[in-house]
Amino acid sequence: MAVDKRAARLGALALVSVILLGLVGTRLWFLQTVQRQSVVDSVSRSKTRTQVLLPERGRIFDVYGRILADNRRVLTVTVDRAVIRRESQRLALFTRLSGIVGVPVEEMQARYKSGRYSQYLPLPIAEDMPEDVVLRLESRSEDFPGVRGDEDWERVYPYAPLASHVIGYLGLILMNQAAEYDAKGYLNNETVGQFGVEKSMEDVLHGDWGQVVYEVDSANRVVREISRREPTPGKDVRLTIDLTVQQYTEQILQTRLAEIRTQTDPKGGLMAKNAKWKDPLNPSAGFVWKFTAADLPEGQSFTDYQNPKSGSLEQYVPYLAPGGSVVVQNHSDGQIVAMASYPTFDNRWFTVGLSGEKFKVLFPETKNPDKSILVNRAIQGQYNLGSTFKPIVAYSALATGIIDPGYTFSDNGSYVLNIDKKKCSEGVRCEYFNALGPFGTPSEYGQVNVTDALAVSSDAFFYRIGEKMFEATDDRQLLADEVRLFGFGADTGIDLPYEFDGRVPSSELKAQLIAKKVLEKGENPKMLVGDNVQLAIGQGLLAATPLQLAGAYSTIANGGFVYRPHIIASIYRSGTPDDSLTAGVVDLSKAVLLTDFSTPELVRQLDMPGSIRDAIVEGLRRVITGPGVEYPAGRYHATTGEYLFDNYDSIPIAGKTGTAQGSKSKPWFDSSVFAAFSVDEASPYTVVSYMEKAGYGSKASGTVVKCVFEMLGGQVAAGPVALSDPLDQTNLVPSLPNLTEDTACTFNRYTDTIRD
Amino acid sequence: MAFSVLNRRPDSGLGNVRSSPGDPSRNIDWLLMVTLAALAVIGCMTVYSASRTKIGTGSTLAYGYTFVTRQVVFVIIASLAMLFVMSLDYQWLREKAKFLYGLTIVALVLIFLLGKVSAGAQLSFDVGPINIQPAEFAKVTVMLALASFLSQENADSVSYERFIGALWLGGVPTVLIILQPDLGSSSVLVALMMGLLLVAGAKAKYIFMITVLAVSTVGAAVVAGLVDSYQLRRIDAWLNPNSTDPKMQEFIYQGRNALRATSLGGITGEGWLHGTMTNTRGDIPVQWADFPFSAIAEQFGLIGCGVVLGLFGVALFRIWRIAHLSKDLLGTYICAGVFTMVLWQLFQNVAMTLGLMPITGLPMPFISYGGSGIVTFFVMFGLVQSVHMRRMR
Repeated sequence: MAVDKRAARLGALALVSVILLGLVGTRLWFLQTVQRQSVVDSVSRSKTRTQVLLPERGRIFDVYGRILADNRRVLTVTVDRAVIRRESQRLALFTRLSGIVGVPVEEMQARYKSGRYSQYLPLPIAEDMPEDVVLRLESRSEDFPGVRGDEDWERVYPYAPLASHVIGYLGLILMNQAAEYDAKGYLNNETVGQFGVEKSMEDVLHGDWGQVVYEVDSANRVVREISRREPTPGKDVRLTIDLTVQQYTEQILQTRLAEIRTQTDPKGGLMAKNAKWKDPLNPSAGFVWKFTAADLPEGQSFTDYQNPKSGSLEQYVPYLAPGGSVVVQNHSDGQIVAMASYPTFDNRWFTVGLSGEKFKVLFPETKNPDKSILVNRAIQGQYNLGSTFKPIVAYSALATGIIDPGYTFSDNGSYVLNIDKKKCSEGVRCEYFNALGPFGTPSEYGQVNVTDALAVSSDAFFYRIGEKMFEATDDRQLLADEVRLFGFGADTGIDLPYEFDGRVPSSELKAQLIAKKVLEKGENPKMLVGDNVQLAIGQGLLAATPLQLAGAYSTIANGGFVYRPHIIASIYRSGTPDDSLTAGVVDLSKAVLLTDFSTPELVRQLDMPGSIRDAIVEGLRRVITGPGVEYPAGRYHATTGEYLFDNYDSIPIAGKTGTAQGSKSKPWFDSSVFAAFSVDEASPYTVVSYMEKAGYGSKASGTVVKCVFEMLGGQVAAGPVALSDPLDQTNLVPSLPNLTEDTACTFNRYTDTIRD
Repeated sequence: MAFSVLNRRPDSGLGNVRSSPGDPSRNIDWLLMVTLAALAVIGCMTVYSASRTKIGTGSTLAYGYTFVTRQVVFVIIASLAMLFVMSLDYQWLREKAKFLYGLTIVALVLIFLLGKVSAGAQLSFDVGPINIQPAEFAKVTVMLALASFLSQENADSVSYERFIGALWLGGVPTVLIILQPDLGSSSVLVALMMGLLLVAGAKAKYIFMITVLAVSTVGAAVVAGLVDSYQLRRIDAWLNPNSTDPKMQEFIYQGRNALRATSLGGITGEGWLHGTMTNTRGDIPVQWADFPFSAIAEQFGLIGCGVVLGLFGVALFRIWRIAHLSKDLLGTYICAGVFTMVLWQLFQNVAMTLGLMPITGLPMPFISYGGSGIVTFFVMFGLVQSVHMRRMR
């Protein structure tokens, strides 16, 4: 083998490599030593500027595709500042533009000099321009150099103010949210969802930013565009809300609250001036309460009333009825069909760029919970539930074997605790009374079983259960533990922000409340028998939201399934097309489904044998249809809903009234609750109404629930849902009243109704 | 001969050794191994420093450990591939060369057809999460095919027939890769043909002929519109760095900033993770794959570049030495082929960073981010080691 020649040729290869590496080395040396300084200078002069392109936000639809939240493309005409640096050129261009965009030259000049706009970005001279104007300007760039149309998005709510509490609104990022949003890549001047679905679905609705990177010179002028990435629009969200039901629910709630606020009928449970009252906590003491104007809470006063019977002028106090909420839930899958909260607001106020002062007029900061507007009472209300809680207690007692369906108790109008009587004289409350009947004394119902007790709302029966369950376990938590199974005391996990967890009494809770000074210092920080007795009738330390109450009734209705309530039905890819025929609606058949939430999400399943469920449902059916009980012989006690529902002929339902007593049990603090569910599987609805300081259960909330069921059953026509008129910005009210005129469903043949 | 120290055969074993001094496992070129390991570590560090922060808002473009993690996985896979190749006798590979070559041609034709279907440049097959570029692996298989073909003729010069044969053997995959179109990888194959024929003893005019053929093929492909405008724009951008054509800005910007980053490094560099362009402003797009040398230059300056290029020098020298030591022509040709390809690809990438060559997208051996490239070069070094390990038999 001619090794030498091969070696020589390999040498040639080595030579080539030495030359190439030498070339590279020389160039490297030249660049890094000789040229370095000039590059250092030029690098410090040339910079890049990144402009973020905001994505279009996803839209929100109702269950049938009605567009609850939409985006409007807003075009802003801008002028490149380099073009108008010289006074004469600026004046000439502004004069030419003025007629076309309809902005006076003086205003453009003022904007040019104003410090409001960035000196480095093109100057905006006219907002919200029609597309054809912008196109005309851009196509004639020789006449309008540096003039461009910039695209932006404005949030619009086509059906506002319907479902405002559910849809929510957008707002600037708050100081305490800055770190969180910054980490996700938000710009600090972006608007984000601050309430409702807009907030809870922010990550889905927002989309992804695009960006343009420009190279800029030392004066920060754009030299060239280096790269561009288009933004990804946010995904569309469809709610479980049916806007037709939602509208009717809001209307009937508002209508009834307004009626109650203005009613002068003393049969509505109003207090006459100087009339004597019994203390419901201690009726045997006689008529010890006598109210004068000084006793009334702020905002309430005596009102003149011509008594038609006596013909004399009397004075009464109307209820404040400041607010309330209604939840309509499908109990077969936990989905929310409607959720109303009053007082309501128009969420368009958040997109019109209100000044700070005007905003404070509309939404004043207040410590008075009656006046809070930006709060969704259906999920944020912290309420006693009153007698509507009794079916839950009945289940707890039956399921734990404390009583069986045949158990009876002799109700003689009050209940005396089974404790050492010495304590009673030492200030411990030992005797608990039923609600006062038509004769001003606590009603007596005689021998009642659990079904009777629910039908006529016997407090004594449930006081007995409260004490029995208190004594059943050493930790005194049996009843509290059982009611937690229905979802009380924990958030339901609904896809809405700021949900109240609820409160179920326990020793820890009492200690916490004493520490927070909600309870007085002298209170015993232990779960006492009195606490459990109060819990058994839905009073005391129990606090729950109307949604939790709806969930509990749904669980009884469906035989023990605790579902997570959903308000989001599905998520679609962005760009769901609008319906070609109807305005304000999308064509859901062309939507591209990404995530579907229609499968019910089971949180837990309660053991609910037929014997237990039947006993409870039978009691709740009798609340609606009667009969009550007769005791003593010849005296009939109607059930609490019997009169109200006497003329009811719609979906068969079972329900319960409740009157939650407020501070010191004063009559004007009575809040009205009604919860009911359909026993017809074809229309599996649960409806809960809670009306603050509006009287007793069947008088206020009972009528609302009755009307909603009649609407769901088709006996009452729900009004058509229409796109709303433009927001009247001169009229500074949070929301215009939205009432229904058809209130026939609220009447019944009887002038009298049964309390509680 | 003064260089005899470099050519010295290893000492014979003394005493009662268990295996013979000729045992392949006792004859690994450890210096080459250490150099390779050093380059791979430097590569991972460079990829990390060049990719952790890039222009963008929020977290959208801060890659952090994303790329370097993958690179480390690639290095591990590539090392296993190298060990496997080292365990094979390269003479055995001679028999398999035809088969591997055939497989490569099939893959290249397939990818060309796929590219036609999807109406765009198609450079890789996606096999699940892995993305395989046949052009990278073609470098090894074509080299093996050419080396075994040329070594069949045990003569001191290349006959005309054999030259024509080699031309076909190398020309077909080269043209297929030009058509992909991937001008960078095809230039590596052209360099490979030239290097091998030079060592095999081809006449100067033959080598000149290859140059003419390569240039005219590329020219024809461009005229026929088979090379897309993307490839041409990069060359255009190199020739006209001050053009205002918006379509060329991306390349002008990328190239110019790489050049600036290199200059900013100076003699000692701006320090690890303290480069103005690389780290603070992060404005060299895809720096971790296209311009890793600029990241080294900015952070470690002329000294750092010298070390890296020095390591390549050591590696190239060891390969060159093994070409001498090889017991047969096939081994010599394999080493010569690897030598040529590493040299050309290194030069091409560094020179484009320094503005001496147009941007081709050829990765820097061992340093650039990219699985196919890393595996290919590790396999090449495995072949060289295999030659070294079996030089005694």
